[in-house]
Amino acid sequence: MVNVFKRMRKLKSVRILNVRVGTGAAVFPAPSSATPEFPAITRLHLTYARKIYGGHQGARHFWRNCLPRLKYHNPGIPMTVRQTTDQEGPAALSVYFAQQASKTASMIAAADLKDTHAPAPADNEQVAVLDVKGLAYPEIWSKLKNLTNATEIAATEAEKTELRKLEQMKVKAEHDRVRIATMRQKKKDQERMLQEARGEIEKLKQL
Amino acid sequence: MSSFSSVLPTAARGLASSCRSSLRPVPLAPVVYRPQPIRWASSSKGSSKKSSSQSQSKKKEKPTKKHAKEFFQRDLKPMEQFALCDAMRYIRAFEVGREPTVAKYEVHVRLKTKRDGPVIRNMLRFPHSVQTESRICVICPPGSRHEKEARAAGAVLVGEQEVFDAVKAGKIEFDRCIAHPDSMEAFSKANLGRILGPRGLMPSAKTGTVVEDVAARVEMLRGGTVYRERDAVIRLPIGQLGFSPEQLRDNLRATLDQIKKDAARMNDRITKEVYEVVLSSTNGPGFSLNGEFKSDQSVDTAAMHGA
Repeated sequence: MVNVFKRMRKLKSVRILNVRVGTGAAVFPAPSSATPEFPAITRLHLTYARKIYGGHQGARHFWRNCLPRLKYHNPGIPMTVRQTTDQEGPAALSVYFAQQASKTASMIAAADLKDTHAPAPADNEQVAVLDVKGLAYPEIWSKLKNLTNATEIAATEAEKTELRKLEQMKVKAEHDRVRIATMRQKKKDQERMLQEARGEIEKLKQL
Repeated sequence: MSSFSSVLPTAARGLASSCRSSLRPVPLAPVVYRPQPIRWASSSKGSSKKSSSQSQSKKKEKPTKKHAKEFFQRDLKPMEQFALCDAMRYIRAFEVGREPTVAKYEVHVRLKTKRDGPVIRNMLRFPHSVQTESRICVICPPGSRHEKEARAAGAVLVGEQEVFDAVKAGKIEFDRCIAHPDSMEAFSKANLGRILGPRGLMPSAKTGTVVEDVAARVEMLRGGTVYRERDAVIRLPIGQLGFSPEQLRDNLRATLDQIKKDAARMNDRITKEVYEVVLSSTNGPGFSLNGEFKSDQSVDTAAMHGA
């Protein structure tokens, strides 16, 4: 197994921190905190096509970037993703509400879009389908946020310091990379020079 | 990781040890020094290089590092360790959108052990089966008691001649193959080694796939997982992503118990201890576990199963 520090740094700063803070780090209304305007979310489903042309890029980025954060902060909500081969097909995010859809659903959700790959809603569920074709993932997230009234979770002080430290490390790494590169280049140059000098001696001997 | 001398190619290693003997007529460590005449011959292509390296080694005499007897164990103090539920919460976040029966939880068990000597190698049956479907073929005389039992135990394909015909026709629709000793004669006559051998499906007594009690073996193989220790780490899948924390805990406990039993069963002089347990997944990072099931900030375990 790899060195503990290497493992820890990668896990803590790059991956764990990334899943705790960022776009999409938010909590959906739970059954206890739901209001009639914004009911609880019971399930999410995302469908998009395999290749990015035709406006499917944002949906994939949403899965890559936002869904892990949403899943981390809402561990009880099932989230499924379906990748189709149908480029002309829809890129859709289905949101399942308990009992009835939120009051913003009529404005934001696409009424005529039907996602055939999404699981069928239960009797006490109402689905609102977002058309996410051609949208970038932050746009998808803001749409979803407005639809569900999710409360974003701000980074704590400790997380902020960690983020700052990461930023500093990145700057330092850039600096160090240049330093090491010049060092290696210098060594290589010297070796080449010696090699050339040796070659000339050989030539003189042959003459 | 490994010491310097293990990084060297074998030819260079032979070279290094021979250099040492020329410098010091009395070999330092007779155990380490092994004359390797064959490797000498193979490394004879660069004779000028050899002499230069010899003169260099005379100047700065660097004793080559001996192999450590044991694997190097890193101090785990700076390692942040997680309770099982917390690690699962993170892993489920990383695996979001994957098929819950396809993505698997994995466990990596680091052992405290010697570099040489026997390794742990066994098979394990989990309380909650990890594989969704393991199709098993049983070769036994048709119409016998074993056929009925094998079918009852869940084998997909049972028989003698029909199996051979299917395999010869290129229809191999099973992942494991077991044979009864009574059918081995017919099996060897059927000459299927060419087809089954490369796929690792050949039944043999050595691997425990030629047995009298076919049904029990089928039962075991259906939920069984083979594992072995490599470089002091045992890695094996222990659960589907859809498992609840309780299910995963049961499987993890069964795994560790079995590994400890395996270690205890070894020779008296050989001691193996579990040093670190890491929970990982098909697409996720590894989380070192601290042995707790839940911590204060864990969420309700009922929420953590399914997709």
